[in-house]
Amino acid sequence: MSTKKLTELSILTAAALIVFVVELRFPDILPIPGVKLGLANIFTVYAVYRFRANEVFLMVLTRVILGAIFCSNLSALMYSLSGAMLCLAGMLPLHKIIPVKYLWLCSIIGAMLHNTGQILAAMAIMRSPAVLPFYPILLTAGCIAGAFTGICAQLILKRKLPSDKKQ
Amino acid sequence: MTKGVKICLAAVGLIFAISLVLTIKFLSPTGRDASKEDVWVEIEQDNKVLYRLNLADEPDRVFRVSAPDGGYNEIKISDGKICVSDADCPDHTCVKNGWLRYDYLPIICLPHKLVVRFCEGGDSE
Repeated sequence: MSTKKLTELSILTAAALIVFVVELRFPDILPIPGVKLGLANIFTVYAVYRFRANEVFLMVLTRVILGAIFCSNLSALMYSLSGAMLCLAGMLPLHKIIPVKYLWLCSIIGAMLHNTGQILAAMAIMRSPAVLPFYPILLTAGCIAGAFTGICAQLILKRKLPSDKKQ
Repeated sequence: MTKGVKICLAAVGLIFAISLVLTIKFLSPTGRDASKEDVWVEIEQDNKVLYRLNLADEPDRVFRVSAPDGGYNEIKISDGKICVSDADCPDHTCVKNGWLRYDYLPIICLPHKLVVRFCEGGDSE
């Protein structure tokens, strides 16, 4: 990995962390754990279209772990980690099929997979399906939030890489 | 628009529609009213039922449920309603949730593995 790439990834991770910490200050929209805008995912979606798979993986892993430490909520690490990994597992292959023009669609699918990962982790930790009724609510919120972050990432990406518009 | 994008779009639309319908269904408040009928609730921790209470008979009270890791959730019963009034978990989602008011959505405290939900008529306390 070249120094340039390393710096670029580090700055993106740092920016994502700042957004993540600022977003924690927002009041909860619904009293349901896991329902949030996920503004930091703008950087994840952006990175998926901009960098190689292993680089995105490292960036997201760093952000999730540091984010959990910064907000001193290590018990939430399991949910965000499984969500983020499932989200990446879906988005990385999908970004080859979905062109930049439909990036928001890729972002929505990523958000849905993120919610799926969260619910699976919660079910594994609770060892009970009691959290399952929250799944459709998370999915609905995830679709809207995913579309929003996707559109944001698309705007940034268009400015950065005008050549990608033609794809 | 390529075929792959179309399939993804259709799948996303379908999942969104289904989850929207379920969300509206789950977020409709319960029709149970403790002043008119028996309303049973269950307090579960770590998959074990700790209490089965009939809110119609319960006096107003506050009690604590201690978690295996040493934490606690304070359960409050008042006027035939139940909520988690205090807890020492890191996220406090269970407290912010307020009164138990949905048939399908229980109050959940993930860190303490606590579930408070409506259940069907009980035979034993």
